[in-house]
Amino acid sequence: MTMLEYDSAQRPPPFVDEFVQLLRYRDLVFLMAGNILKNRYKRSLLGIFWMLLNPLLQTIVLAVAFGALFKSALPHYPVYLLSGLLAWSFMTQTTQYAMGVMATGSGLLKRIYIPRATYVVAVAGNGLINFLISILPLALIVLVLQHPVSVSWLFLPVSILILAVFTLGLALLLSTASVFFNDSIDIYQIVIQAGFFLTPIMYPPSVLPEALSGWMVLNPFFLMIELFRTPIYASAIPDIGLIAAAATLACATLLAGWMVFTRQADQLAYRL
Amino acid sequence: MVMSDEPMIQLDNVTVRFRIPHERIPTFQEYAIRWLKRGIRYADFHALNDISFSIDQGETVGIIGPNGAGKSTLLKVIAQVIRPTLGRVRLRGRVAPLLELGAGFDYEMTGRENVFLNGAVLGFSRKDMNQRLDRIVEFSGIGDFIDAPVRTYSSGMVARLGFAVATNRRPDVLIIDEVLAVGDAEFQQKSAARIREFRESGSTILVVSHSPASIKALCNRALWLEHGMIRQMGPVDAVVDQYAPGQPSQ
Repeated sequence: MTMLEYDSAQRPPPFVDEFVQLLRYRDLVFLMAGNILKNRYKRSLLGIFWMLLNPLLQTIVLAVAFGALFKSALPHYPVYLLSGLLAWSFMTQTTQYAMGVMATGSGLLKRIYIPRATYVVAVAGNGLINFLISILPLALIVLVLQHPVSVSWLFLPVSILILAVFTLGLALLLSTASVFFNDSIDIYQIVIQAGFFLTPIMYPPSVLPEALSGWMVLNPFFLMIELFRTPIYASAIPDIGLIAAAATLACATLLAGWMVFTRQADQLAYRL
Repeated sequence: MVMSDEPMIQLDNVTVRFRIPHERIPTFQEYAIRWLKRGIRYADFHALNDISFSIDQGETVGIIGPNGAGKSTLLKVIAQVIRPTLGRVRLRGRVAPLLELGAGFDYEMTGRENVFLNGAVLGFSRKDMNQRLDRIVEFSGIGDFIDAPVRTYSSGMVARLGFAVATNRRPDVLIIDEVLAVGDAEFQQKSAARIREFRESGSTILVVSHSPASIKALCNRALWLEHGMIRQMGPVDAVVDQYAPGQPSQ
């Protein structure tokens, strides 16, 4: 007797099933993550070098504009700026991309079975690759400015892991929202724009008026940025309370994202 | 291969119900307004209504019926793209859907990269595809263009490459949705030969087509759907003649 390959009545809970299927289709996830990267730079002259140049140019522009302003508060301003900017861009660009990707993938998702989370996980993976590569230009700036490098850099893998977990969770939540409501994409765009100025990325937290700075503990992006920036800029391991808060937040976000996404996954084929 | 008495595909009382709002509410703002006003009214639409049948290994079944009868929904339930609202679907093997022209292709990528992408979509591992690459390229007849971006291909070339990937390994269940006419005359013969070969070596094949003639040519049984229910199921000639009288048998 041949094995029963599929039985709609004997299906494990979607929470588990989706994860098992994603493992089975892991080659597809890797291929898609790589393809996003390849496609982005395929038709450009400098190709993959843009990934290194882009953060450098961005830093130069912003450092020229704001460097003088924070000269005394933030020595080696470009290091402060870029380390914050990289973490911010990783989280926001990845989640924004994830919100559009379900529509892009609808052609396939409606026609053939692939795990529904394939696209979102591939986008998050691609974002992580970009993030890791962009640490190279950051290191270059650190060397050029002779910013001290300490053993606290060894903490960075933990920071990056927590950021990645948080970003994947948020991407799952937001991509589910994008399938049900088109305008959630526009709403998020505005939240991101406001968030960029309300979060201490370009400026030190001390600049914020007291009424506002108390609220910064509630800004998840700020927690994540500090987690990545402190080992680089302040040459110190982040405060244990900050690490615990960020790790808890990241795990809770991923858990919530996975539960919401997989619960709605069966509906996606109708909605897309 | 191992023969089995149990059916290859079995559907028991399968119902697929779409819960559709009376009007589509695409934005959050509208949703909120309506929810506050008087709640949202939904209508239930039964794309499939209490369908039961089974198909044995090696059968070739044509699915016919007017537009909106539920043919595509039936294929989607079997291909696991959507889950039944009620009832049970059981399958005893690997299902390979033949995708429409170019679905699953990334047009900026080369043909070679797309072979791997398409293979992964069908659930094959990278290792597997490495071994199959040469045979796929040969069957597709793409030749040296395999390293050119797919956007430079003609639509026939895209279809040939897609067919070559999807059918490189014999599936237990092959699903064909109106894509029989692929490529030029020579490739059509080649693809028809491959489908015959699958049938002879025990694959179960499901075909949706609006052409009674091609259903009669390919299938031994037919399933006539109407309004999400089975109108008739039986030997292909009898069912197709009732559905579309006056079509010559082949």
